[in-house]
Amino acid sequence: MSPSQTIKKKSSTLDERLLLTMLLDEFKQINEKLDAIVEVNGKILKTQEEFLQRITNKVYQRKDIKLEPDAMTLLSLPMSLRKTVMVLYKLEKATAEDLASETKRLRAVESASANQLVRMGYLSKKREGRKVYFYIE
Amino acid sequence: MKGKVISIHSSRGGTGKTMIATNLAATYANKGFNIALLDLDFRAPSLITVFSKGIREPVKYWLNDFLDGRCAIEQALINVSEGYNLKGRLLVGLANPAIEAIRDIMGKSSAWEVTAVKKLFSLRSTLSKDMNIDCCIFDTSPGIQHSSINAVISSDLSIIVTTLDSLDIKGVKNMLAEFYDAFEKRTAVLINKVFPETRIWSNGRQKALINQMEKTFKHPIIGVIPCYCDVLQAKRDSLLATENPGHPFLRNLEEIAEKLERIK
Repeated sequence: MSPSQTIKKKSSTLDERLLLTMLLDEFKQINEKLDAIVEVNGKILKTQEEFLQRITNKVYQRKDIKLEPDAMTLLSLPMSLRKTVMVLYKLEKATAEDLASETKRLRAVESASANQLVRMGYLSKKREGRKVYFYIE
Repeated sequence: MKGKVISIHSSRGGTGKTMIATNLAATYANKGFNIALLDLDFRAPSLITVFSKGIREPVKYWLNDFLDGRCAIEQALINVSEGYNLKGRLLVGLANPAIEAIRDIMGKSSAWEVTAVKKLFSLRSTLSKDMNIDCCIFDTSPGIQHSSINAVISSDLSIIVTTLDSLDIKGVKNMLAEFYDAFEKRTAVLINKVFPETRIWSNGRQKALINQMEKTFKHPIIGVIPCYCDVLQAKRDSLLATENPGHPFLRNLEEIAEKLERIK
């Protein structure tokens, strides 16, 4: 390989790395925005419920039902959700990123799966700084 | 080996699960490993009988107490190494055989079961980091019930003990498909109590049986142990591994123990 070819190859590898790093940053930002949207949606829902209560003078109970993800219940869940709960048993509390590194699935997949489990009442989540942690209560 | 958690399970009772679990634990301890053996068969506790000769003081805490949050795991484990002259430490955790304790465990809520799974998962780090335990063995209850499922899902590797009885084979097949595959558990099957009449010990018949069983179960067979009348007739308050160390049953078990050690 001639020196010019070597330089060309090196620069193209550098370009690819730079591109991948930029893409990774973009994805991280998208994920953070998605988490924020989920949180804002929850708040909107709460405000709507409170408004409804005020105008109708009726008390609407929020359906914050907590379900127990015991072993028998896990059998009835789809494999994708079961996997997330199993990792949470092991890690106790985890971000979507922590879950992804255990399951080897995409962070976005884990985020969607964990949030669905929160909506179903099997998991809880809390924000600590910029990070959102999922856990079994 | 460090920190490995192995559950010994079966689809039905009477397959020799406890005999395998206790002697596997003693085999490892004889090799110098530090072992914790936990009786997670809360409906029919048996380790209290098996280790009665090695337990010198009245039991203060049971595994039931640990799962109920009344004690730490260290308090629920009894060191029986001295009683059996073992090279390594053998710590046993016993299930409470009192009828009130069995009734109590049968009425536990889903929330309690969740806490129990969490506690079993957290055992790994306490045992290996704080207590220098190389391997923890769970002796589970047979079939699919909370206590056995909790043990299996919180272990790294599960060994299903079966005989060649058609009910056992069907039960294991069903359990693998309905439960183990659902949890993607690392599993191997151990065929125990194989009758001498099957004459599988020569002419590569054992290999043929293993092939046939691996096709049936779609999981690896970790070993085949013949049926020994003297083992079946032996008193259950004794440990074969220490009382009759040259027994062929133990030679088979040692091979299995070595295979398990190699699994990462």
